[in-house]
Formats: sequence, C-alpha cells, structure tokens
Amino acid sequence: MTALDNYVAPTSLEQAVVQLQELGEVTILAGGTDLMPQSHAGRVKFKRTLMNIRRIPELRGIVREGDAIRIGALTTISEMMAHPLVREHLPLLVSAGDHFASDQIRNAGTVGGNICNASPAGDTLVPLMVLDASVELASKPDDTLFRRSMPLPEFFVGPGKTRLAPAELLTAVRVPIPPKGFVARFHKFGTRPALDISAISIGVAGVLKDGKFSQVRVAFGAVAPTPVCGCATQEALEGKRLDAATIAAAAKAAQDEVHPISDVRASAWYRKEMIHNMTKRILEDVSANH
Amino acid sequence: MPETIQRDSLIGKRITKLDAPEKAGGKTRYIQDLDVQGQLYGKILRSARVHARIKSIDTAAAKALPGVHAVITAADVPYQRPIGVAKDHFPLKTDRVRSLRDEIAAVAAETEAIAEAALKLIKVEYEDLPVLADPNDSLKPDAPLIHPEPHGATAKHDHLKQAQGIAYRGKPDNIAMTFDYAQGDVAAGERESDVVFEDTFHLHYVTHCCMGVSGIIAEFDPSGNLLMYSNTQVPFLHKREFAEILNMDPARIRIIQPPIGGGFGSKLDIYPFEPITVFLAKATGRPVKLVFTREEEFLASPTRQPVILTLRSGCRKDGTLTFRTVSTLHDNGAYTSWGATTPFVMMQTISSLYRVPHCLYHTKAVYTNNPYAGSFRGYGNLQATFAVEQHMDMMAAAIGMDPLAFRLKNAQDSGEVTPQGMHFKSCGFKECLSTAAEASGFLAKFKANEADKAKPGRFKRGVGMASMLHVGGGAKIYPSDGCGTILKMDDFGSVTLITGASEIGQGSETVLAQLVCEELGVPLSAVRVINNDTEITPWDVGVHASRTTFIAGNSAIGAAKKARGKILDAAAKMAGLDAADLDLRAGHIVEAKNGTVVMTLAKLLRQLHFSDKAELVVTSFYYEPPSKHQDKHFKGDVSAAYAWATQVVEVEVDTDTGIVRLLKVTGAHDVGRILNRLGLEGQIEGGIVMGQGYALTEELMVENGVVRNPGFRDYKLVTAPEIPEMDVRFIETMDGEGPQGAKGVGEAPAICIAAATANAIHNATGVRIMALPFTPEKVYRALKAKDQHH
Repeated sequence: MTALDNYVAPTSLEQAVVQLQELGEVTILAGGTDLMPQSHAGRVKFKRTLMNIRRIPELRGIVREGDAIRIGALTTISEMMAHPLVREHLPLLVSAGDHFASDQIRNAGTVGGNICNASPAGDTLVPLMVLDASVELASKPDDTLFRRSMPLPEFFVGPGKTRLAPAELLTAVRVPIPPKGFVARFHKFGTRPALDISAISIGVAGVLKDGKFSQVRVAFGAVAPTPVCGCATQEALEGKRLDAATIAAAAKAAQDEVHPISDVRASAWYRKEMIHNMTKRILEDVSANH
Repeated sequence: MPETIQRDSLIGKRITKLDAPEKAGGKTRYIQDLDVQGQLYGKILRSARVHARIKSIDTAAAKALPGVHAVITAADVPYQRPIGVAKDHFPLKTDRVRSLRDEIAAVAAETEAIAEAALKLIKVEYEDLPVLADPNDSLKPDAPLIHPEPHGATAKHDHLKQAQGIAYRGKPDNIAMTFDYAQGDVAAGERESDVVFEDTFHLHYVTHCCMGVSGIIAEFDPSGNLLMYSNTQVPFLHKREFAEILNMDPARIRIIQPPIGGGFGSKLDIYPFEPITVFLAKATGRPVKLVFTREEEFLASPTRQPVILTLRSGCRKDGTLTFRTVSTLHDNGAYTSWGATTPFVMMQTISSLYRVPHCLYHTKAVYTNNPYAGSFRGYGNLQATFAVEQHMDMMAAAIGMDPLAFRLKNAQDSGEVTPQGMHFKSCGFKECLSTAAEASGFLAKFKANEADKAKPGRFKRGVGMASMLHVGGGAKIYPSDGCGTILKMDDFGSVTLITGASEIGQGSETVLAQLVCEELGVPLSAVRVINNDTEITPWDVGVHASRTTFIAGNSAIGAAKKARGKILDAAAKMAGLDAADLDLRAGHIVEAKNGTVVMTLAKLLRQLHFSDKAELVVTSFYYEPPSKHQDKHFKGDVSAAYAWATQVVEVEVDTDTGIVRLLKVTGAHDVGRILNRLGLEGQIEGGIVMGQGYALTEELMVENGVVRNPGFRDYKLVTAPEIPEMDVRFIETMDGEGPQGAKGVGEAPAICIAAATANAIHNATGVRIMALPFTPEKVYRALKAKDQHH
C-alpha cells in the first residue's frame, strides 16, 4: 500500500485540468483494474496526489461526430461492446472486447485507461491502431483549455510510457467510420481461452474492392515495447489480390519485421512463428469470407 | 408416529456436503477471517540471495519503528531446532541462506503495514556463494556443499541438541536421500525381451495453489500453554513435532484447525513460518497472526517433486512384460520435506501396476538452491505413471498390439500378491480398462486417428489411455495408521461424532456422518461432526494417503455399531423383545422383519437416564488395518486396499500453434463402493482438472533458483472454458475391509491425466513428448522438429 498525501475527485474536465496543472505530481485513477494490482504488487508507486477522474461527465459517452465515432475515455470495455454505434460501425472493437480479461474487469476497466496504461499487450490498442484511431488530449497551461489530438501509433513511447504531458488528460479516442468494403480482423493469441495476457496479437484491416485489398493497416501487439505498425506486411498486401502467394509473402514479411523478446509467456522464436502462422490464418479467413 | 418404517440407506446417494451452505454462502471463517483479541501481525524477511553467507543482520532501525513489538533473527532464538523430514532446516537461518525463500528475520507489529515497513528497515549483508540450480551439477565431485557439516562453535552448540535427539548435522555431499529396490534379475529379464525401450522423462515444478493461502495464529496463555490456529493436515503429529522443536511438553500444545481452504498434501509438514510465529508470540507475549500474501504462497510453499526419470523397459513379442529399470534424480531443493520420499509410491507403480517379473529401482534426491518439494496429491505417482504408461504405448506399438490388449494382458487381478509384497484383495483394474475403453470408444478412435495422422489439416484428434494404482486402504507410513472416534447421543436422538480425522475440503465429515446414519438409522440432519481441536478429538495420524474415508470411516462405524448395540439391548429389554429382531430406522426403533415401530429413538434415549446404564458416549479406535510396514528392501503390503483407475483422454492438437485442447476425459475408477456419489464425482472431477493443469498449463518456472512467475497471471491454472467433458464411471468391487466396501480415492483421479494426454498427443500427431507440461510452445517445437526430420 502507498500512503497518499492528497486525493482529489474533480467533477468537470475544466476542474481536472486546472488541478493537474496546479498539483504537478498526480496519479490518475480511472477503472483501477491495472493501477490497483500494480500498486499492491509494488510495481507502481502512487505520486503525491491521487486523482479520481470517474466523476467527470465529459469523459463519458460514445457519440458520432461527423465521420468519426468519439469514445469517451471513461467508457468501460463492457459499455463499448454494448454500444449500438460501436456494434454498427466498429464491430472489430466488439470482438476485441470479447477477448479482454474477464467480465468483472471489462465492467470496470476503461478504454482510456487501457490506452494510457500503454502495455504492449493492451487488448484495445492493436484494434484501435488498425482502425486509424487518434487520441484527444486536454490541458490548461494558462487561461484557455488546450486540446490536441494525436494518431494512436505516435502516442506510445514504451511499456507504460506515452506522450501524455504531465498536466494533460486523455479525454477520448476518435475512430473514423470505416469506408464501404472495409474488413478488419483482430486475433489475440494467448495460451488459454480466458483471462490470458497475449503472447502476441495481430490486427489487420483494409478495403476489399474488386478482389483487391487496399488501404491496408496491420499492427502487432506484444512483439515490441509498444504495439507496432506492421508496415512491411502492409506493403506486401497493399493493392494485391489475397491469393496464396500474396498471403505467404505477407506472412513472411510479418515474421521478418517483428523483433520480439523471450519472456515467461513465450520465446522470441515462438512469437515470430505465431506472427507468421496467425497472419496467414487471418488473411486466409478474410480471403475465404469475402 | 408412523406405524411401520422400511429400511432406507444413504449409501451411494448424492449427498450435499455438510459444509456446503456456509461455503457457498461465503460465511465460512477461514484463518484469514479469524482475529484474536490483542493480536499482533507477523511478517517474515526472506533472503534477497539464492545462496549466500549471512555476514550481518542489522535490525536496529526496524526495532525503533513505532508499533513494532519484536524483531527476531536466529540469534534471538538459540533454542530453535531444525524442522522437516531430515531435520536439515532451521526456521530462522543461522549463518547462510540456501534459497530465495529463506527466512532471515521476522517482525511482530500492531498492523500489517507497520510490519511490512519494518521489514524494509532490516539491513542484511550477504557474501554470495555459487548457486546450484541443476541437480546434475549438485552431484559433480567439485560441487559446493549446500549443507556442509557444522564445525566450531555451531557444532559444539549442536552437540547439546544431538543428545536430545534432534540436531542439524549437515552432509558430506549433496545427496539428501537415496532409495533402492530390486526384484528378480533385470539382466535376465532383458535377455528374454524382444523389444526394449529406454527414455528419460522430465517432470516439472508445480505447486498446490490452495485458494486459501497459508496462515497461523499462535498464542501463549499466562501458564505457558500454546494455542495455535493452524491449517495443518496432521494436527496430532504436529503437536508432537512442535513439542520437540520448541522443547515443550506436548500436553501444553493445543491445535485448532479453522476450515481449511485447500490442502492437497501441502500441509503435511511443518514449515518455518509456523515456529517463527510461535517465536514471535513468545517474544511479545501477545497472540501473533501471520498470513501469507499470494506471492509468498508461490515462493515459500512446497512444490510437487520435480524428477528426471530414466526408464528402461522390455517385453516379449507375445506382449508379456519382462523387466523395468528405473533411475531417478529428485531435485530436493535446499531442504528436505516429503518430496524426497515420493519413491515409496513411485516404486509401487513401477513394480506392481502391471505384472513385471524383474525390476530395479534407484533414486537420488539431491540438494540444490531451488524451492524445496513437499507432498502433493498423488505423491510421486503422477511422475512414475507418466513414464510407465508412455512406455506401455510404445511397447504395444512396437509389437503390433493395441494399447488396450497389451494392458489387459499384463494387468493385475484380485488375489494377486506382487513381488513387492502388495496384496490385491479386491482389484477392478481389468474392469476399469475395459469400461473406460468401451465408454469412450477408445479402439475405434485410436485406429481412426492413426489413419488420419498423415493427412493434411491443421487440427488433429488423438485419444490416449493411462491407468493407475494407488493406496486406498490407509498406508503404513507411520508406526500406526489409526484414528479414534467418540460418539455421543443426546436426549433428542441427535448424534455428535467427534473424530480425529480432519476435513480439508475433501468431504470427509459428510461421508463419516453418512456411515453413522447407516448404523444408527438417524437422518443426516441429526449428526454433527466435531473434527478440529486436538483438545477434544481423539488421535488420528492425519489427512494423507487417501486414507480418511477408509480409516476414519471404519473407526466411525465401530463407534456407531457399539452405540447401536447398547440402544437395541436397552430397547429389547424395555419392549420385551429380542435385540436381534430390532432395527433402527429414521429415528425409531422398529421390528426388523416388518418395520413395525416400537418407539422413537429419542424417547428411548431419555428413558435411559433413569436406568443405571445410560452410557450415551461410546468410543472406538480403528487401529491396524491388515497391512504391514515395508521391510528395509521396501517390500511389504502397505495398505489394506488398493484403488485402481483407467482414464481415456481425447485431445485436439492445433498444429499451427501447438495448443492442445482436452475434449473429453472418460474415467473408470475402482472405488470399492460409492458412499456419497456427489462427493465422489466432485473429487474425481476436481482431480481430473488438477491433472489437466499438471499436463498442460501449470508450471512454476524456476531459473537459477528464482521463481519467475509467482502469481496467477503467469502461473496458469486451468480456467472454466478449458475443462473437458467428463464421463466418470465407478467400478464397485466391494472391498472386504473397506467401510461399507469403500476404498480411498482422494489422490487417484489426478494421477493418469498427464500420461494419457501424452499418449493422446502421440496418437494425434506421431510426436512423443517426454517432458511436462505440454505448453503450446513445447508441442509446436516438437511438431516442427518432426516436420524437419521428414
């Protein structure tokens, strides 16, 4: 347990960012599903102030804004999975949520928390990346509320590390509504069907038109310090027909472009093998079903 | 009052466990939920090094922390004595640490947080020693010694203790224990063989993962009597052992067991945290409660015995087994607990599961700086069965026999006495084999999978079988295998059964109550079971070796029969009838021939107060079942009855990933007789899942003496969606000595799964893996190696 000097629970975004600016050293509590166990295990030390952001209404809700869907940072994984807009336009997030920890954790854990936690194995990160999502950040360095947005891949720096500035709050994630012909797949590969942390994960998305795959996005989880773009794999697929030769070349490109580590969950060799086999499997599935 | 009552029986029915309502309702008060007025909280400082000399310990800052009542090290308890099976383990380490779990100091404080803060203030200086992480290295001639013989002041000090019988003596080498067994002439056996296989099997570390972590409360009263609230499985043995190691009069030690959140063998030995808590209670004059964190539970609990096992076996072309030679290297860890003694059970499987004329068995248990192994459900049998049953499949294939026919040809029958001296008075082995094979469609599936193996396709199906033999009628491990019962009846026809046998979640109190109901004709609701206080309950040797139903059951029946005799005699006198013509049914005394009610049991019991022969308390002991100690050559009939089982496992192997999914387990178990069908099903199903974890997912990863996955995130227990369909059949052989014909089967269901899974993976893929667990990566690697080979 960590002793706290200060606890704040702002009730508006305005109040939160002002407090962030004033208090400096702050640990932010959203769902707490990662923060609390990490803190109990002594792996995360609370800063001087613990800020509970759960009472900030602006951080909640899922809305359509023009050609995008805005998912508030405090949206729980369960809320995200159940929301009609997500179910209609972003079914990839529903299927990703289905592999996310357990029901209890999905009921508490938030989308914003999963992103800020910046685990290379975070279950929403790879799907959000292939959906071309960006994050919305807010701060109040002076008298005006400052908002900026950043494409998701740029946000991650390392395990648990992001480009979030010290006085900044992640307010939402914005996902463009995919175009016609859009197909997307997410595969979380763990060694057991429930309550597992990915050994690797793969997201593939693109537009299938006249048999050709374009605007391809590929991302991998748990093979690098952050979720990463599968850029070489994208290139191997862009504008191609998903025939056996293309799929084999893409799977090979995927295997060659990742540089995972060995840890208690899997060896680097096995991770590369699984990146190859699962990329192949996903692409075969896309090819067979469209 | 009814006019007639027909005989009814609870035996074989599905009876809800007596403690189910409180457990399901979350009302059970485990050690975690118990608090004693004025208690302090204990915490242990463990080693930061795997193997090192302790140069200095500075506790001054910890002692000065407000709220701290005591900080103790070995120097504060010069009276401490070594614990464990080989007395090679001081609770608080004196001059060196031998593994990362080692206890260096302990704190008692007003809150857990203060105790934890105090631990951080203790400064320890170490001088690193070379680490032995591989048991093979421990045997090298130049290997550093883990337990060098003490010399100088320590030796002198220890001399005093030697005179009192318990002393730390050290060892001139790293060999903790050896076991040798021989029957017949293996060289002659090999000459007669047409097929011989030799392979080395690697069995890994797993741990019990009891949902209730370890804990204890120790308290001295002003007269110096020690009360411990303890989760032990062996309260009476511990009472004696604690008396020895604390140099106390055993009469001054009382052990109360709160409901225990899982045992599985983990609580058969005394571990350092228990005497350390007593030391803290002594040092502070206050009750001290010490409960492990989950991480501590992983780091500092005993494990299943890891084993490197080399098996050489042979048979003739006609399928007759000829010989087996086994050599095992047991990684003892840094100290000796029960894991080192698993050869007792391993050699039974080697010599006596099948008829084998010639056997040679050798084990070395060697010290390393790894976690130390204790006893764990199955006690070496999972390891032995893993090797023996894979070789059975390999030999069958080599001589062109199917795995079932080969096993049936060599299986034991009832009446047999094996060369090791085990006498199988009741034996349903062949029926287990044929029942499991038939119910699962084993042979047809086995052949179909063989044919499909070479065909293309990502998913491969496989089926595999394995069988086991285990003690089921007590076990002659200690000089006595007894259990006592006190049975008390009150004025209202209720029965209090006071038994020495502990309940650790296995359902013994329900079965014991059922056996009493059977004799006394009372409903289950009329029986209370008291089983958790050494001051009240009669002696029992403890929960181990699948013995409780058999031994405590027979003891309870003995008491109930005595009470029944007294009641019927009194009733006969009162009613002017012959006692032999009376029976007890549903709380009434009735005429046996037609069920005509004579009077209620309650009325009779009340009337006994007015006679001079009330005697509503009876006692009994079931001491020596017809078994005997093994002689020094490990020969002897160690149990009054033996349990048998065959399990057929069906798997699906994903060749793209190496993931093995258990689809179905069909088990046939010789249980003697079904007492509580629901409890039995629960025990078998739970055991199957435990075996599944051992086979597929669980592994305590130990690297250079460091446990790398001390938590449920990366120590993977089986989760609900992975649990296979189960079809469990019971074979009732009605054992002559068993209570109502039953045998003990607590350990049996966990034993075969890993071996059967190995055989099923081979049936599916043609790949034979001789190391556990079958993680996706290990299976995938093996599949890849086979592909490259072709």
